[in-house]
Amino acid sequence: MFQLTDIPRLLPEILLLVLALLVLGSDILEKWGRTPEAQLERVKSSASLTSIGLVMVLAVALLQSGYLYQLPETAPVNFFTNIIRNLQSGGPGGDPVAGVFVVDHLTMIARLLIIGSALLISLLCLDVRPTAHPGEFYALIVFATLGMCLMVGAKELLLAYLAIELTSIPLYLLAGYFRNEARSAEAGLKYFLFGAISSAILLYGMSIAFGAALNGVSGAANMNDLTRFDRIGAFTPSGGGLITLAMLFIVAGMGYKLAVVPFHAWSPDVYEGAPTPITAFISTASKAAGFILLFRLLTETFPAMAGAPVLGEAAGGWTGVLAVLALLTVVFGNLAALPQNNAKRLLAYSSIAHAGFVVLGLLAWAAAQQFDREQGLVALLYYLIIYSLTNIGAFGALALIGQQVGGDDFEHLRGLARRNLPLALLFTVCILSLAGIPPLGGFFAKFYIFMAGWQSGATWLVVIAVVMTIVSLYYYLRLLKVMFIEPAVDMTPVPMSRGVAAALTITAVGVLALGIFPNVILSVLERA
Amino acid sequence: MGLITLPADVPWLSLIWLSMLVPAIIIAVIPDRYPDLMRWVGAGFALLSLILSLSVFLAYDPVKGGFQFIEQLDWIPQLGISYLLGVDGINLPMLLLNGIVIFTGSLMSWNIDVRTKEYWVWLLLLTTGVYGVFSALDLFLFFVFYELAVLPMYLLIGIWGSTRKEYGAMKLTLFLMAGSALVIIGMIGLYFGSGLRTFNMLVLAEQGFISGNLQWLLFPALFVGFGVLAGMFPFHTWSPTGHVAAPTAVSMLHAGVLMKLGAYGCLRAAMWLMPVGARDWLPIIAVLTIFNVVYGASIAMVQRDAKFIIGYSSVSHMGLVVMALAAGTQIALMGAVLQMFAHGIMTALFFAVVGRMIYDRTHTRQLPELGGLGRVMPFAAAMFILGGLSSMGMPGLAGFWAEFNIFIGVWERYPLIAVIAALSIPITGAYILRAVWSVFYDEVKNPEFLHLPKLTWQEYTGALILAVVLVGLGLYPAWMTELIDTAVRPLAARLSEVAVALR
Repeated sequence: MFQLTDIPRLLPEILLLVLALLVLGSDILEKWGRTPEAQLERVKSSASLTSIGLVMVLAVALLQSGYLYQLPETAPVNFFTNIIRNLQSGGPGGDPVAGVFVVDHLTMIARLLIIGSALLISLLCLDVRPTAHPGEFYALIVFATLGMCLMVGAKELLLAYLAIELTSIPLYLLAGYFRNEARSAEAGLKYFLFGAISSAILLYGMSIAFGAALNGVSGAANMNDLTRFDRIGAFTPSGGGLITLAMLFIVAGMGYKLAVVPFHAWSPDVYEGAPTPITAFISTASKAAGFILLFRLLTETFPAMAGAPVLGEAAGGWTGVLAVLALLTVVFGNLAALPQNNAKRLLAYSSIAHAGFVVLGLLAWAAAQQFDREQGLVALLYYLIIYSLTNIGAFGALALIGQQVGGDDFEHLRGLARRNLPLALLFTVCILSLAGIPPLGGFFAKFYIFMAGWQSGATWLVVIAVVMTIVSLYYYLRLLKVMFIEPAVDMTPVPMSRGVAAALTITAVGVLALGIFPNVILSVLERA
Repeated sequence: MGLITLPADVPWLSLIWLSMLVPAIIIAVIPDRYPDLMRWVGAGFALLSLILSLSVFLAYDPVKGGFQFIEQLDWIPQLGISYLLGVDGINLPMLLLNGIVIFTGSLMSWNIDVRTKEYWVWLLLLTTGVYGVFSALDLFLFFVFYELAVLPMYLLIGIWGSTRKEYGAMKLTLFLMAGSALVIIGMIGLYFGSGLRTFNMLVLAEQGFISGNLQWLLFPALFVGFGVLAGMFPFHTWSPTGHVAAPTAVSMLHAGVLMKLGAYGCLRAAMWLMPVGARDWLPIIAVLTIFNVVYGASIAMVQRDAKFIIGYSSVSHMGLVVMALAAGTQIALMGAVLQMFAHGIMTALFFAVVGRMIYDRTHTRQLPELGGLGRVMPFAAAMFILGGLSSMGMPGLAGFWAEFNIFIGVWERYPLIAVIAALSIPITGAYILRAVWSVFYDEVKNPEFLHLPKLTWQEYTGALILAVVLVGLGLYPAWMTELIDTAVRPLAARLSEVAVALR
């Protein structure tokens, strides 16, 4: 049952909803402003409202989580401590809200990651010039963020599905936002079509899982709540055709959302065609949310079917399936990125490859010891955080270059180091982190996830993944070569706007700091 | 007691690598219009790092032996990763070598006037990594520094290099990264396989019980992974290409120090931690190194580009180091460490002469186009000949003691291999003399060469420092051998113990 005390536990989501409506509403009131100057004002007001609002939501979520500061029990009672105490009463812990939305450490960490990413994206968007009604553009970003926040806490099939749709539909619209450009329109349509099909597959899997649980309930036992993950897990048999089918459909449906090979076909085109900040959003926050939902779905709905990702006859279960997908993903993603001559498309393939690495963290569930499984989740979260920071930084730099230089092919990047050295260096930090060069975060993330994968028994996969990081180095170095070694076409400096500069600096500093001192964040992640 | 005493509560080893990181940051904020200031800051801190590593070298107590100047801090305790530094008789000479080469290298970098700031920042970051590797005793930390040392190389060669620089840079980086991929696999295997869940090499070496089968699997991963960087056959092809393409200071650092980093990794990570694996694999590796030594030297014989000659001579000489490691006896290991030091100094001198003094003035390194330069720059000729004599193993120079020890040590284990490898001695003599003759003594082919600019004081100073060390070590090797012996003796004992125990 929903109780009044559950309201603070849903506070970030409620605030996001309010913010989205506020952005929409404030822009509607200015609808008559059609002159270019008025348009500019509208863009600015919507964009800054979104950014400021997200900063506040992030601050509330951070305070609620208690990771930075936990109010001691013995604190004196006064006005301020009361506010903090009330907020932190909605912090991690307790039963799921209404049995469907759990607020635990995992949700809390994921929320912070998602809202933080959305904030960085909104900073990148400060200079985007949306068509006609800017309010829509920014409000859609906030709606998608809300959807992702719901996704990571979902404990029940229906809520999970609704959250996925609440995330996806705004993203379809955003990907195709510049409908006058053929590329963007194509991206939107493609994303929509693939998304709709994958939703259908996912829904089919969910209904089979529900049906299997219904079969499993014997006689007059309690038949309520059979859409909840743990109830399905409790009532379904550990093997059998039906439940295996459900698992396969769910993995495939989520695989489409996460762009895992062989369900990736939509992603390079969508990433290339969508407005660059939106590409960053799709490739980071929505992937992170998807992975966390997949983690919950698989570990709670199919706990007995984990199987093992080893070579040979013992292989099987969903870790076995995921191991095959991870293999295909890292190999294909990295090889396909090699011949690309468009930086955005190259990063799109590299995102596919990175999804393959993340899957290694999920495999850890097959490890024998509880400790190793927990390490797998920590590695997964750390990877997602670093990957989100890095990819937002990289796409952010490309967004700026796209605006200022006029494109994101390699030739537009040529000689960037001599046209704007700080931008080139920030971009380089992100690229090297993606490549996994210490002391940047990307290195430790990869290393950690390799260790998790190794303990799950998927040694063979780790070896292949390590080899593939060398392949990936080639195309990342090509980017470096273009920026630093090749001569510039023209030497005019590339100006850097404040929003992008702020976002890039945050990501680069974050990647460096978390790479050198990962234990700062690991102690928080270990609570998940 | 060491020769001097340093206060114990100062983190000397951290200071050494920080003395390279700090100037990198300082130079990054110096405005572009003061290139000279950048050079002075860079060279000044390089001198500081040399003085620091020399002080640690002198303060090390060879009687007590073992690891000294240990610094330990928890870094990522959840995973058993710590910030652990320490030196013994093996890495201490390497620290000193790096100090000498970076200081002389920074003197040789004075004429870089294209994108000066970036050059110095990358160069100093590279050295930070090298210092770090030579002092790290935690495998993870070791690897982090190792990668830090490899990557700046790409940009240094790609931007400031010559002769197919982009190809050379990419080839070098990919080879080295492929090596580090093997190292990662080996590291994770050790971490879980030892059952200790730690990367602390001291603990792994003392308490780690790693089963023989696992050692057999992991040893080649670590040894070959680092061996790539040491130029081990058949993974050596990146090295001549990379050395030729690199700017002078980078060639000096690369051939002089970075290749040693690979050999050091083989010794420290692979052989020290996995003696059983070493017993099974080292004979195979010893056979492979014959190719390094003899084939490398023969290839050097037919090169026309002076830098390629030195590049292949490095392959040949580093092959001797790996061969000595593969023999694993006390004398051989002593020779290996000594050769790393001697070859580092000698190659740095070669590249300084060929890359800086000659190429930057004549803009060619082709032997048929050069000639008669001995008349124009007698100092350069003297330095090159000195390096050449050391390379041939002339008594009285550092190279003699190194090669002498290596051949004796290898003879103890693999007499046949020692005999075959000794073929390289006359070949080395031949290609060095050929280079000396056609660069310095042949008739002058291009009259413009008679009016080349004079050598600068930086070039004189740098080359003289290297020459003094080369002669000093040759005349009185005991100042280094005693030290090396303290570390090599237990290691050799450990290796032979395993061989006896399992016989």
